[in-house]
Amino acid sequence: MNDFSELEDQLRKLRPATPSPELFKQVERVLAEENGSTLTAGVLPRQRRLHFNWLSLGLGLAAATALVLFAFVRLQQPTTTTSKVASVSPAPATAISAAQFVPAGLTQVVYHTRDEGLHFSNNSAQPMRRVRSQARETIRWRNPKTGATLRISYPREEVSLTPISGQ
Amino acid sequence: MENVATDENWKTRFAQLAPGLVLFARQWTRSAADAEDVVQEAFVKFWRRNHDVNNRGLLYATVRSVALDLLRRDSRRARREAAALSDADQLVQPAFDIEDDSQRALVAAIDLLPDEQREVLVMKIWNELTFAEIADALGISQNTAASRYRYALTALKKNLPSS
Repeated sequence: MNDFSELEDQLRKLRPATPSPELFKQVERVLAEENGSTLTAGVLPRQRRLHFNWLSLGLGLAAATALVLFAFVRLQQPTTTTSKVASVSPAPATAISAAQFVPAGLTQVVYHTRDEGLHFSNNSAQPMRRVRSQARETIRWRNPKTGATLRISYPREEVSLTPISGQ
Repeated sequence: MENVATDENWKTRFAQLAPGLVLFARQWTRSAADAEDVVQEAFVKFWRRNHDVNNRGLLYATVRSVALDLLRRDSRRARREAAALSDADQLVQPAFDIEDDSQRALVAAIDLLPDEQREVLVMKIWNELTFAEIADALGISQNTAASRYRYALTALKKNLPSS
């Protein structure tokens, strides 16, 4: 009937380690505080730790990279134009400016999606399904006159929460 | 409806659930102490919300949720753990009271399982959840839960030295 019954028996014989008495004391203390209308449980010191928002960090880095690249393009421009000015014939149409780059495309490659199951966010009583997806976005600009392209790629992480209705 | 908040004998209930819950939480933590912190926080959260104590799928989902949040609270630790989760499958093995070499080999074989299979195995064997409850806690279908369990047993059988 079941090829694995012997193995399952072996597994069931393995006993999980007994939790420390401290766990029971702590839970008892917190529940006692709850009954005494104490608002703070006082057992969650890690909640006060700094929380990193990776999405914001990623977008910030991407924006910083874009600024640096545009600044670099602009810095290149004066040397080109001054040399032209010094020459006998003016060349008004050959100067490259960042403004001449026009958006040429945005690609988003989602390379990992993980369903993290039910989750309670911000002390909400309603469970929510949390899906985390990681993607790489690439934005491209193109200079139509010269054909030069500028491309910025950055990682992106997105967490979506979908409310689950109770049954 | 039976409820943790109104259950006079919550200690008995918690004593029944705690070893399995701690074992479940240890999959995402580096130490037993961290796992106990997770269980404590999850149980209290569950209690505060007056959830039905028989809704084990939701209780395990809460433990899982708290454990994953714990991973992310410390940014450096979260990065390290996430890398371990996705790349190397180097989760800390469930903690057992090992009695002999055969059990040691069994625990080592469990440690080699992919985390998604071990997760289902831990819930099924040592927490005695149904596939419906496992599916509810993990946000997967019952068929997927059953498949992962079957794959886990197949892999264990393959990895265990023949007795």
